[in-house]
Amino acid sequence: MSALSPEIVLRVDDLSIVYRTERGDVRATNHVSFELKRGEAMALIGESGSGKTTISLALIRKLPKNAVVTSGQILYQRENRVQDVLGLSRRQLRSFRWNDCAMVFQGAQNAFNPVLKIRKQFEDTARAHGWTDKGAIRKRALSLLELVRLDPERVYDSFPHELSGGMKQRTLLALGVLLNPQVVILDEPTTALDILTQRAIIDVLNDMQRQLLFSIIFISHDLSLAAEMADTVATVYAGEIVEIGGVDEIFYRSLHPYTYGLLTSVPTLEHAQDVLQSIPGSPPNLIAPPSGCKFHPRCSFASDQCQLESPLLQLDDETHLAACWHKDRLLASRKEGV
Amino acid sequence: MAHHQQQSRAHLTLSDRLYDIASNVYNNYTARVFLIAIITIWAVMTFTFALVRLMPGNPLDVLIEQILTAEGVSYQEAYDRVAASFNIDSDATTLDQYFQWLGDLLRLDLGTSITSPGTKVIDEIARFLPWTVFAVGTGLLISFVLGIFAGMPMAYYRGSKLDHILSFFSSFSTGVPNYIWGLLIIIVPGIAWRWFDIGALRGTYDAGLTPGLNAEFILSALEHAALPVFTYVIAILGTWMLSMKSSTTGVLNEDYVNVAEARGLKERTVISSYVGRNAALPLFTQLTISIGFVLSSGVVVEEIFVYWGIGHHLFQSITVRDYTSLQGVVLLLTAAIVFSNLFADLTYGLLDPRVRVSGEK
Repeated sequence: MSALSPEIVLRVDDLSIVYRTERGDVRATNHVSFELKRGEAMALIGESGSGKTTISLALIRKLPKNAVVTSGQILYQRENRVQDVLGLSRRQLRSFRWNDCAMVFQGAQNAFNPVLKIRKQFEDTARAHGWTDKGAIRKRALSLLELVRLDPERVYDSFPHELSGGMKQRTLLALGVLLNPQVVILDEPTTALDILTQRAIIDVLNDMQRQLLFSIIFISHDLSLAAEMADTVATVYAGEIVEIGGVDEIFYRSLHPYTYGLLTSVPTLEHAQDVLQSIPGSPPNLIAPPSGCKFHPRCSFASDQCQLESPLLQLDDETHLAACWHKDRLLASRKEGV
Repeated sequence: MAHHQQQSRAHLTLSDRLYDIASNVYNNYTARVFLIAIITIWAVMTFTFALVRLMPGNPLDVLIEQILTAEGVSYQEAYDRVAASFNIDSDATTLDQYFQWLGDLLRLDLGTSITSPGTKVIDEIARFLPWTVFAVGTGLLISFVLGIFAGMPMAYYRGSKLDHILSFFSSFSTGVPNYIWGLLIIIVPGIAWRWFDIGALRGTYDAGLTPGLNAEFILSALEHAALPVFTYVIAILGTWMLSMKSSTTGVLNEDYVNVAEARGLKERTVISSYVGRNAALPLFTQLTISIGFVLSSGVVVEEIFVYWGIGHHLFQSITVRDYTSLQGVVLLLTAAIVFSNLFADLTYGLLDPRVRVSGEK
């Protein structure tokens, strides 16, 4: 386990998760592996139901009761100490959560206990992790609230219902980094906010990351957000990472037809509306997934090989990987097309 | 709502000023609900007053008949004697009586009992009321606390054997009325098993004891209250358990509970401050409202256990057609329900900051 290089804060190895349901096992995550470096921002993109949220919940072991991890390990490294989250005892898990990895859930609207003041919720979070000095908690909280561009004194003494949606989201971001975690997971951090507030949240996140130097994993189907925030982008399809690479590589030289499909289904300023395409078909049934490459029923490049053999994530160049048998054909078609 | 305040002060007439005062009172939330409560009580009492006078049979006529046959005096003399002993103006019309009664009521004078002349209604109430408040109040509080603590695990372990057993008990407890529970308790452990001597537990304390802060009296009072209290607990407990279970189930699905766990809060903190506190909120309102029903819920149970509380008194007043006592007790029951609702309204804000009412809109 000590084989992690020092700049790695999180390594997920061969993670597979199954949901036991009455209709059968839902294979929500299949052999997922990736690494997150210190200060890196990684985006998980994909359609709803692709398994993005399952992956992120597993990272803090907050999966629903019917979920079973069938393989893999999730290693966090901090100050040369490596721990596997899946092997933590209840007590260790409790102190790990929020202290090493904080998760800002989708929809901050109800993330705060409605009957407790924001101050109380910062305090009980800090206290649960061994802080005792109320003054110190207050000082840290106020500086973070200022960092997210709120009026710190006012917000700190407010009840959640006295804050607007955008203010709650920013307050939750401040609470997320209260204990100085190494990794912050953001699940759809800007969904359900208006476009100006989205802008403000993105700016705040960039600011915070620059100042506090944590790593980010964020889940989004908003590709423009991913383009703006991420250093690395991973495309998730049917519970698998089908492509992972630097943000420019993914956006300008995508090697997986699914990623390419996602990108062309977003309107841009340059292209006229009629160029906009959607990916035909719908996400596969994860109880009985298609054979071979799970994307083949929806893929215009699919061949016999795709139906039979599941492609592996192959290193294309140093950092860019894609799981597709026909990367070359995709690249060629794009050169023709443009 | 406050548009009239924008008028210039110079043009204020008297009626404007009165309107100002009235609307200020109305805009003050506390004053408004208090006013509505008073009006509600007045309406119920007026209705009761009319109802009592529409009832067939009249205690005056009954007594006059008795005097006529027993003593052979003239009708007028018998009438005057009865009227005098009742301390009422016999010539007054119903409307006059109504205003007389209303005036007395405003001075908090409930009059004297019809069947035991000379005894003030208020004194009788003062004699019986504390026992009911004590017995039903204790039962209500015990069942509330037990219900909250039993309801939470039912929600946490939904669908488990524990949940099934407790849910069955809750439905049974709620479905069977309190007087049936009372009868069951008397018949099974009392008479069949002879666990206690039901005859010795009549009344509110052993005869011959002086009420006061002495150990003997207090023990005796507790002993006599034990069975009614137990009956109330059993009969109300299920409602609290089911309310708490459904309330907790709802709260457990809330995002903030999930986030609290992700924050690594201690399990105890999550259960008490996050789940428990939010789940119990609606139950507190239910509790404050049911305080109003404390007085009326035990009428039959008090008869069954011969526990001399306000319910027993009401029952007796109806049996002997003691209209003034009846009116007094009905007023008390009405006021209790109306004011406990008012209390629930005004205190909910203390528990839930979201409904805290600010003075201005």
